[in-house]
Amino acid sequence: MNSRGAWALIRGTWLSWMQYRSFFFLLAFGWMISPLVYMFVWATAAGSQSIGGLTRAGFIAYYLVLILVNQLTYSQTNWTVGDMIREGRMNQLLLRPLHPIFDAFAQEIAGKVVYLALDVPVVMILALILKPDLNPHPEQIPAFILALLMAWLLRFFWGYALALLAFWATRASALLPIQDTLIFLLAGQVAPVMLLPGPVKTLAVLLPFRYMVGFPVEILTGQLDASGITLGLAIQAGWLAAALVLSGVTWIQGVKRYSAVGG
Amino acid sequence: MQGLRLIGQFVRASAQEETAYRLNFWISLLQAFLELGAGVLAVYILFSQVENIHGWTFSGTLALLGVYLTAQGLRSLFIGPSLESLAGMDGEVWSGRLDFTLLKPVPIQFLASVRKWRLFSFFDLLLGLGVIGAAIWQMGTEVTLERLLMFALAMLAGTTILYAILLAFSAFVFWSPAVLFTWVFDAVMQMARYPVGLYPGWLRMVLTWVIPVGLITTVPAEAVTGTLGWGMLALVMVAAIVLVIGASLLFRIAVKRYASASS
Repeated sequence: MNSRGAWALIRGTWLSWMQYRSFFFLLAFGWMISPLVYMFVWATAAGSQSIGGLTRAGFIAYYLVLILVNQLTYSQTNWTVGDMIREGRMNQLLLRPLHPIFDAFAQEIAGKVVYLALDVPVVMILALILKPDLNPHPEQIPAFILALLMAWLLRFFWGYALALLAFWATRASALLPIQDTLIFLLAGQVAPVMLLPGPVKTLAVLLPFRYMVGFPVEILTGQLDASGITLGLAIQAGWLAAALVLSGVTWIQGVKRYSAVGG
Repeated sequence: MQGLRLIGQFVRASAQEETAYRLNFWISLLQAFLELGAGVLAVYILFSQVENIHGWTFSGTLALLGVYLTAQGLRSLFIGPSLESLAGMDGEVWSGRLDFTLLKPVPIQFLASVRKWRLFSFFDLLLGLGVIGAAIWQMGTEVTLERLLMFALAMLAGTTILYAILLAFSAFVFWSPAVLFTWVFDAVMQMARYPVGLYPGWLRMVLTWVIPVGLITTVPAEAVTGTLGWGMLALVMVAAIVLVIGASLLFRIAVKRYASASS
């Protein structure tokens, strides 16, 4: 593998993105609002008692961590890869002596750094004002880091496979609102997964969306016991493997079909 | 009347444009139902844990969701699409295409506000009104003529405020044409999904006095639940008139700043 080339790609992409930081800051601001709405609503609902074991300060901690995790795992490949296929710019990448997935990775890492440059200070200020209740057990930290890493990879490869559908249909991006709605409902945004009513909760545990955002947050805020964490990590690893296979297959099949648009 | 005849022409032209993309109809239909389902489920999940938050019950919050969907439907019917063609990198202000709009013998604010229609949003509107109806049915209270009148007036005031805010945001486009004002507004508008009473004091102030999106949905929803007094309604109607006059003045000043684009 050409690691020097890959590194240069990441650095170059990051520097060029930092030029337009106000644009990306606005994007990050928009992504933050929806979790904030639910944080305020649940914190008010909890008032001075607790709902399902979560107090007002517990909800605030949950959603502040969720904002960061959501941003860290957010997959933007539908714009960075999907648009490239739709507009025919994929040609240049295919000519490089480097798999095009490195370009997606470079944009992914560059984006994360730019978004976090806004998110971390905002979340810290909110934490100072709202006083969340967050005291994770030391033994939960490694599980959290592992779950976060897998969440990012799962969301990235899942998003990559979805973006590659652009090889077949130019309007494949119409699937995005469906995915966004499922993430909103099942990944722990509208409420922590354990507060969801029966059948919805079962769905959330089985489908991959919780393992893209909510699962690591649940570990860090201490909502899961040891067996819950182990089971979750196993399901997450299974979905990650499935996403890897899926994105590999769509790539191989898709690139065969690819005939550049434009010139 | 010339104004109405022009609007008729704009509606016809937009309808012809829209029917050219038939697949979009099905995608929009799917999205409308997704938005509806996710919204109702979000309210249901919240109220499956608590019965009453600061005086708001399930049916009251459901009514507010209906108002939110109706207001968003009205917005995307013509206000949004018309004003959005000013903003952004390919917008009229940035590219200088506003020259042609300015030259037309019609007041610029009128033309900029009604020229583009998205007829599908009639369906969004109907769904929103349906949700309000379902909420009233849930409440099981009698609908008096007085309350109906209050609701209609509150809805009118709310929509006027929505228009005023969007017009003011469009005026800012003349100062910095590349900023994503729609994205910012969409993010802030998310806050209007829940009653302003569910937010902490400082945020309630912002949503009532600084960017009054809270009024757009909370006041009509209060008319449905019967907690709105005539005094408050009169106040909001005055606020709506003041806001729309202020936004129109701002828009006029903004248009004067326009210096076309170099060519």
